Amino acid sequence: MTVFKTFWKVVKKYKGTIILYTTLLIIFGGLNMSANNQSTQFVDSKPDILIINHDQNHKLSNHLVKYIKKHSNLVKIKQNEEAISDALFYRDVNFIIDIPKNYSQDIMNGENPTIHIQSTGDYQASLAQMLLMRYIRVQNIYKTKTHDEEELIQKINHSMDKKATVELTSKLDISKTSNVSTYFSFASYSIMAVVIFVICLVMSSFKERKLHKRTIISSMNYKTYNRQLLLASFLYTCIVWLLFILLGMFLFQDVLFTTRGILYMLNSFVFSFCCLTIALFISTVVSNKNAVNGIVNVIALGSAFLCGAFVPAEWLPNSVLNIAHILPAYWYIHSNDLLKKVEILDFNNLKPIFINCLVMIGFSIIFIIINNIISKHKQKFN
Amino acid sequence: MKKIIEVKNLTKEYKKLKAIDHLSFEVKEGEILGLLGPNGSGKTTTINCLLSLLKFQEGTIKIFGKDMHPNSYELKRKIGVVFQEIAVFEELTVYENIDYFCGLYISDKETRKKYIEDAIQLVGLENYKKFYPKQLSGGLLRRLNIACGIAHKPKLIFLDEPTVAVDPQSRNNILEGIKRLRDSGATIVYTTHYMEEVEILCDRIIILDKGKILAQGTSTELKELANIDEKITVEVEKISEKVIDKIKRFPTIHEVNLNMNTLIVTYKKGQDNLGKLIDCLKDNKVVYSKIFSERPTLNDVFLSLTGKELRD
Repeated sequence: MTVFKTFWKVVKKYKGTIILYTTLLIIFGGLNMSANNQSTQFVDSKPDILIINHDQNHKLSNHLVKYIKKHSNLVKIKQNEEAISDALFYRDVNFIIDIPKNYSQDIMNGENPTIHIQSTGDYQASLAQMLLMRYIRVQNIYKTKTHDEEELIQKINHSMDKKATVELTSKLDISKTSNVSTYFSFASYSIMAVVIFVICLVMSSFKERKLHKRTIISSMNYKTYNRQLLLASFLYTCIVWLLFILLGMFLFQDVLFTTRGILYMLNSFVFSFCCLTIALFISTVVSNKNAVNGIVNVIALGSAFLCGAFVPAEWLPNSVLNIAHILPAYWYIHSNDLLKKVEILDFNNLKPIFINCLVMIGFSIIFIIINNIISKHKQKFN
Repeated sequence: MKKIIEVKNLTKEYKKLKAIDHLSFEVKEGEILGLLGPNGSGKTTTINCLLSLLKFQEGTIKIFGKDMHPNSYELKRKIGVVFQEIAVFEELTVYENIDYFCGLYISDKETRKKYIEDAIQLVGLENYKKFYPKQLSGGLLRRLNIACGIAHKPKLIFLDEPTVAVDPQSRNNILEGIKRLRDSGATIVYTTHYMEEVEILCDRIIILDKGKILAQGTSTELKELANIDEKITVEVEKISEKVIDKIKRFPTIHEVNLNMNTLIVTYKKGQDNLGKLIDCLKDNKVVYSKIFSERPTLNDVFLSLTGKELRD
């Protein structure tokens, strides 16, 4: 296993590169995660509402005010046009309800009096409008059933007090999965750089024309030599992958030790394998060590920018994403994005992720075939 | 003596250029065979064909009595090669480099360890085991290159211009090492265009030019081919045609050449030639600054065979 062992001795010389890209992953991955913190805690929100009641001495209009007050913060403002406009402009109030005179009486007479509203148009105002609409809808249902104001109020109360039990079928914490996805997507750059860069450099040492000549004339079977190199490269890729997985496990143990976590790991393993085939392909085509550095930067950085490792894919223009389809990193990052959102892990939901994995395997097969063709051509030429 | 290499009618062509032209020779066990020739004479191509690194159009090659093929791994086990170009890993130390190349032949760790130490000692790199190639001088790098090629103790060694661009100290060290390899029983094929090295080292010499064998034999045998026994070089201020004609009439004279201010006189036999020449120059009042006599070199042989210098 001389070739296998020597592979690792040469790799050792590039440990600085591995440490550099791992540190980058920790720093930038960490920064992305802190910027990505989303909360799933629901806190009851009460809009600021001003009610101008021109029908103050009637039970029904007072009941409406009472209902609104229960679910909002009632604001007191001078009731002139300028003060109201200022309050809306400065968001002192989100919603203004103007109850007309004889509102209660008109309702009891089966009419539809108009309630004037003014709104800031924001989500608090929408919430206030929902409250009002809900009340009016219930009131309109029961107003035809009775002519007694008290009875109508009772029916409204009865209906409004009913509580429905809502059960959350999904317990997906998007904030956590989002962080994991960010980590794995950013890891695409680190995996690509560490795998391609180091394997290309090591391979270019072994396949340097002069050294290669020495190997050919030795008594070691050339197939054995190649097999040892491939085995070492594969093992190296597995170790890099494992390193990033362990780092991920340390950061997101609650997600990675689940079925979803296994899917993240599977996706990254397939991607790492694809990077290995790219590395072997580049090392066959390029033998100059100085050129390797430039090529790896173009491929790793290019993939990361085009496919959404640094910037979320949804922010990228369609034209860029269309180009990104020809890069394995796109399919890998796409799967990470899907894993972030998918709630129920069944075959139908996971099908696109499996398809993405197959696309990456397809890329790998293409690189292996091209690599073999070029290698044979080179051997023949030599 | 057993034949280690048998080459018959070897021909190698690159498109229309004949790099090797019907070459036939043998190498016997324990000898050092020198392949001497100018750049482009076919020395390295011959070695590459012998090692199956190049395909050839005609001829047969037998090494240790067997046909040599790219997959003759058993034969390759007995062969060591030191190429002209330095081929070592920049990322590995001196020891690790030798270990790797020795490991391509020897799998047993303990045997390898001993062989590596022997190789390091042979080329005198004991104090540089942990050095990286970048830290070594040109001469030390050449020594490492040799150690990598011979660490597995091969019975047949090809050394392709191993002393190119090497300082005198390293050259002496390398040449001493090669002699020790021969003494330990190895058969060596040594290619170079340094005739002095060939004269010092080789038991037999083949002079190549344009892919053909011009002459072969021992150093003494080859020098006889040049038909000269002594060469006297004189740096003169001025010499007339008349004096040159007088010198040409000496009984043992072979040739007289005047090149600028350098007069080269070659003799068929070396008998008091220097004294007679000095007398003649004195009698004719020819002023000279330097005069020396030497035995003919392989360069003279090459010159007489091809009409050109070996280093042209």
